[in-house]
Amino acid sequence: MITAELTFDDLAGLMKKAAGVTVDPQRLKQSPDFPFDSVGLDSLGLLGIVGELENRYGQSLPQDSERCKTPREFLDLVNSTLKAGA
Amino acid sequence: MSSERARGAAITGIGVIAPNGLHADAYWKSVREGLGALDRITREGCEDMPLRVGGEVRGFDPAGLIEERFLVQTDRFTHFGMAAAALALDEAGLGRGDPAEPYSIGVVTAAGSGGGEFGQRELQKLWGQGSKFVGPYQSIAWFYAASTGQISIWSGFKGPCGVVASDEAGGLDAIAHAARTVRRGTGAMVVGSAEAPLAPYSMVCQLGYPELSTAEDPDRAYLPFTERARGFAPAEGGAMLVVEDETRARERGTDIRAVVAGHSATFTGASRWEESREGLARAIKGALDEAGCAPEEIDVVFADAMGVPEADRAEALAIADALGAHGSRVPVTAPKTGTGRAYCAAPVLDVVSAVFAMENGLVPPTPNVFDICHDLDLVMSRARPAELRTALVLSRGLMGSNAALVVRRGGDSAR
Repeated sequence: MITAELTFDDLAGLMKKAAGVTVDPQRLKQSPDFPFDSVGLDSLGLLGIVGELENRYGQSLPQDSERCKTPREFLDLVNSTLKAGA
Repeated sequence: MSSERARGAAITGIGVIAPNGLHADAYWKSVREGLGALDRITREGCEDMPLRVGGEVRGFDPAGLIEERFLVQTDRFTHFGMAAAALALDEAGLGRGDPAEPYSIGVVTAAGSGGGEFGQRELQKLWGQGSKFVGPYQSIAWFYAASTGQISIWSGFKGPCGVVASDEAGGLDAIAHAARTVRRGTGAMVVGSAEAPLAPYSMVCQLGYPELSTAEDPDRAYLPFTERARGFAPAEGGAMLVVEDETRARERGTDIRAVVAGHSATFTGASRWEESREGLARAIKGALDEAGCAPEEIDVVFADAMGVPEADRAEALAIADALGAHGSRVPVTAPKTGTGRAYCAAPVLDVVSAVFAMENGLVPPTPNVFDICHDLDLVMSRARPAELRTALVLSRGLMGSNAALVVRRGGDSAR
């Protein structure tokens, strides 16, 4: 089975779709430690992204995933969960 | 009381998103000319309902005024409200983002039903796909308080905020609430209402109202004060105002367009139109009292104009009861017959019309209405020139609220 992995490109697309926040995927890659707050993505917005991912992968993400503060923290959490679940 | 009276509440900014204009100036031009914007309802999913005619806001693109992240998480009624607030703040010359004194400005809106369209979309996901497909913004977007909250967050204004849920007349109650808040020391309030009732779920909710007009012809659907009155046509859109401490406005050097002078509200029960006569008359008297205004000083009345025979009769009698002989002489108008009633936003739009009417010395006409059966001097066909210093705006709701608001011309308040 191929392990799914969430990329910075995916995350940028989801931020736009679920929360209306436009970020350059390159910026996410280059500086993944900026706070989501600074681009106007709040916990409800991240919760929407969590919901999209859970539906996409048919797998639950850990409770409080939407409390991640930065793109790197969120990506690490999602990818480690997907890897463990695979 | 005397210290409250000392602070005037000035209107220094007006933003409008309405069926007949996507800006206050465009709105007034349509109102002045008596241009109708009632039409067949064409929004998706609404075409086959027994409610045919309404005032739709067409060609509205909020993206130029409001950032996308706010649009994604809000319903159409909040889009209207935020866009109107942006226009009002712009005119008042008040910034947003991180204002120097964030606690000196607050927000209050009136709402009749909240975000029905957003709620319907998410509930369809719930029953069509399952609970995991419901987006988190459903928790806030449908809520009738959403517009106040989002305008506060978006603008960074942290002063007193609130939502008035008092039926259609709540539009006037919200303006009065803002004026009182300013008199108690807050620098300015962003206040008004916008509604989006023309979506499938929201329309179904309205179908039970006996006062709703189900006529097919846009020119004949909403004819208050006539023998052919058969109910009202609904509308979407609304208006936001900046209501500001008069002294503060003068110090800033911003134009004072009008002053909120008096208000009163009463409650006489749902669809009890005959009883609304006494309730509305009491509201008018209360508003005149607060404004320190004699009946003869009222230069124009913006009528509620429900379009239901008993309600129209009650309103005509209430005006006579409260204003005496002056009631049959004062010019009365109901520009909303050209747009439909946008619930709580309807009387706010009337206040906007009253401000422009006083500035321009013109009583706008009542579109589509040509022959009335009540003892009122209703202005019809075309605008009537008149010296207007003081306007009385009336509103009633389907659930029984009655309210009256007195506004005075801006330039006169310094006397």
